[in-house]
Amino acid sequence: MRVVASPEALDTALWSKGTVVLRLAPDDVFAIGASDMELADEHAIIVDEAGFVGMWLHDDELSQRVVPHIEWPLTLTRPALVQGLIAGVPSKLWLEDDRALLLCAAAYGRELADRLG
Amino acid sequence: MTSPGRIVVDGRPIAFVAGDSVAVAVIRAGEHPGHGGTICLAGDCGNCVAEVDGVAYVRTCQTPARPGLVVHRHPAVGAPPLRASGQVDVTSPPPARRIPVERLEADLVVIGAGDSGTAAVAGAQQAGRSVTLLDAHDGIEVVAIYAGPTVIARTAAGMSHIHPREIVVATGAAELHPVCRGNSLVGLYTARAAEQLHARGVDLGVSVAIGSPPRGVPCTALPGSLRRIEGEGRVARVVTLDEDGGGERTTPCDTVILGLGRAARNVLARMAEGLPVSVVGSAAEEFPLPAAPTAGIVCPCSGIDVDDLAGVWERGFRELELVKRASLAGTGTCQGSVCLPHVRAFIAGRSAEIPDPFTARPASRQITLAEAAAGVHFDVFRRTALHDEHVALGARMDRFGGWWRPWHYGDHIAEYWAVREGVSLGDVSTLGKLIVSGPDAVEFLERLYPTSVADIRIGRSRYALLLNEGGHLIDDGMIVREGETRFVLTFTSAGAGHAEIWVRDWAETWKLRVHVMDRTMSLAAINVTGPLAGALLERVGLPSAPRFLEHVHADVCGVPCHVMRLSFTGEMSFELHHPVDRSVELWRALMAHGRDLGIAPHGLQALQGLRLEKGHVIIGMDTELDSTPRRLGMEWAVKMDKPDFVGRSALARTALLADNRRLVGLMMSGSAPTEGSPIWLDEEIVGHVSSSFASPLLGGAVMLGWLKRMPVPELVEVDGRSASVTQPPFYDPDGSRARA
Repeated sequence: MRVVASPEALDTALWSKGTVVLRLAPDDVFAIGASDMELADEHAIIVDEAGFVGMWLHDDELSQRVVPHIEWPLTLTRPALVQGLIAGVPSKLWLEDDRALLLCAAAYGRELADRLG
Repeated sequence: MTSPGRIVVDGRPIAFVAGDSVAVAVIRAGEHPGHGGTICLAGDCGNCVAEVDGVAYVRTCQTPARPGLVVHRHPAVGAPPLRASGQVDVTSPPPARRIPVERLEADLVVIGAGDSGTAAVAGAQQAGRSVTLLDAHDGIEVVAIYAGPTVIARTAAGMSHIHPREIVVATGAAELHPVCRGNSLVGLYTARAAEQLHARGVDLGVSVAIGSPPRGVPCTALPGSLRRIEGEGRVARVVTLDEDGGGERTTPCDTVILGLGRAARNVLARMAEGLPVSVVGSAAEEFPLPAAPTAGIVCPCSGIDVDDLAGVWERGFRELELVKRASLAGTGTCQGSVCLPHVRAFIAGRSAEIPDPFTARPASRQITLAEAAAGVHFDVFRRTALHDEHVALGARMDRFGGWWRPWHYGDHIAEYWAVREGVSLGDVSTLGKLIVSGPDAVEFLERLYPTSVADIRIGRSRYALLLNEGGHLIDDGMIVREGETRFVLTFTSAGAGHAEIWVRDWAETWKLRVHVMDRTMSLAAINVTGPLAGALLERVGLPSAPRFLEHVHADVCGVPCHVMRLSFTGEMSFELHHPVDRSVELWRALMAHGRDLGIAPHGLQALQGLRLEKGHVIIGMDTELDSTPRRLGMEWAVKMDKPDFVGRSALARTALLADNRRLVGLMMSGSAPTEGSPIWLDEEIVGHVSSSFASPLLGGAVMLGWLKRMPVPELVEVDGRSASVTQPPFYDPDGSRARA
């Protein structure tokens, strides 16, 4: 689910259990696995989102296959969402304690996979 | 000493001793690794560079010898041949050579592990800072310092890109080379090079030393100063001038060892102006310049002698940077390491002022293109969800507007007829798509667009121009109204990214209550177009297709679609916007259901002709940076009676000014001229063709072109042929086919 709404509404939104909430921008959320949500913004744009592809990676996969292609400092904070070029492809990383979700627009998916080998 | 093997130099095997560099092995064999000139064995000069294992401009003094290594000396004159020049098919990709890149961060990078560098490392470590020490003797050659700062180094394993907070340059000093007649002969060594060769057991023959003698090397120290060196190819004699200037002394010898002084090895510091770089030790010293040269080669890399310098001086090039550019001294392999002190001395001798060293630029060492490009990625181009479908259908894919798109599927004329006579599919997933929603959405779009928005009914859409503050066209697309406060905006494929930023910037500037969501890469879109398009959609679940400029949400072939009725091809057209993960399913179903209708996909080549017959412009192709609606003949798309919109005041002002530029339609018989062809009138160029197409339907060339001539003439000349100036569209001027 993709939601664009006022930052205040997103700050206080309630998501169904198990949802991974990625705050792409102050007014923009990509909610993975969301079946329901409560949001105090009647003009919010809420749509199904099929435009991303992603892959869960263990820490060792992240460090071996992805980190060598990142030219910016990778935060040590967990959990964290970081966004930028990975191997020259606009990408996002959702970092949890022992795994990470590598995401990019589906239109970039094959290029990213090719570049990461 | 036993030989662990042989290297191959110019096709001849040469034995080497364990620990030899290639240069030392060649000298041990009684030869010169290049074609003459002083050898420093410190990596400072370019006199030992050669092609090593297929890579040109390798410093052989820094290259360990190993069995089977193949060395080709560069030609004595000119550059080594480019390997690609022997390649017949220059379009075939060269063998991939992947250079790994290691990326590091550090508080401090110290370049040079001599006394000064080691002290800098120790000091920083005591302060608790992380330090990376880079030294050429460890096989880590720093080749560049960029802003950031970023230090680029070549290592045995590949390339290192290091991002420190500070850099210390502790690269020491280089030995001066002699500049005199005969300084390009074989048999000349700096004092340190001679010490190295002696330590490695290389016999230098009868040796004389001038200046500071080498330590421990058997040789005769000659008093006085160097005058010239004589011999045929090799050193045979050296001529010195007595210390009292009384006379010349000629001494027969095999080798001349030169201890003429030093110069700061500061090329890296000179490319890092404004960066947090400090220079320590000898690299920071101001060494005395040598005497102004009077004869001989000054810059051995570029073959520049004193007469060449005198020549550019006489032509008025008297600043160091100008002397460098005019003579090319300092632009060669060693980047001035050898010649800079002598060129400075030359200028000082003539102007009585010592010029500062010239600026250095990366790379300070020769690196291969593969090394330079290591870790650098090509711009990424997006693929639509239908990419593989296009490839399977034989499409020639090409890059347009940041996407891979089908240019044609083998026969663009057949694709054209499929649209004009039957039904065809086009992949328009690349179009920009924004959702704008919020209580101020109408006001926001009224301010943003020059067309009226409030009167677009829900379920309807309108073509709109997007203007900048200057009233110049920056993009176009549709305004699609979904609700009282919710709209979908579409933009051109190439302009979508900029348009999104434009929309967001204005929303923020005006502080209106609107939300903006970019759906460009989340929704695919298939254009079903042609006179049979409605019939096809009726078969696949859309019994009552929307009328022209209407839109509906409906399932097509079971796929949820936002169906927009519009037309870029000039025929009945329906854009089916749908989730990207359902695109292949929808495409295949449409192709299957349309088989008996003769359905075929069309690529961009056909589309460009189809839209040109309709006179539709392509932004960036038919428009220029200052194209206004008036110049484009699109004032019908501007509502000047609106209170305000972006670009309105500029349009109001320029409407009062005379203007002689117009985008016009042109028709002539025969083939289509090259886009960009000049438009002639009375033997003057009065414009150019922006788009052209040999219309199968109209039997001639149709064009859009810019004319700078008012009133617009009826006839002009293009490509040597008479062309009539017309008002597009060329095809279906009343739009009955699109509205059918």
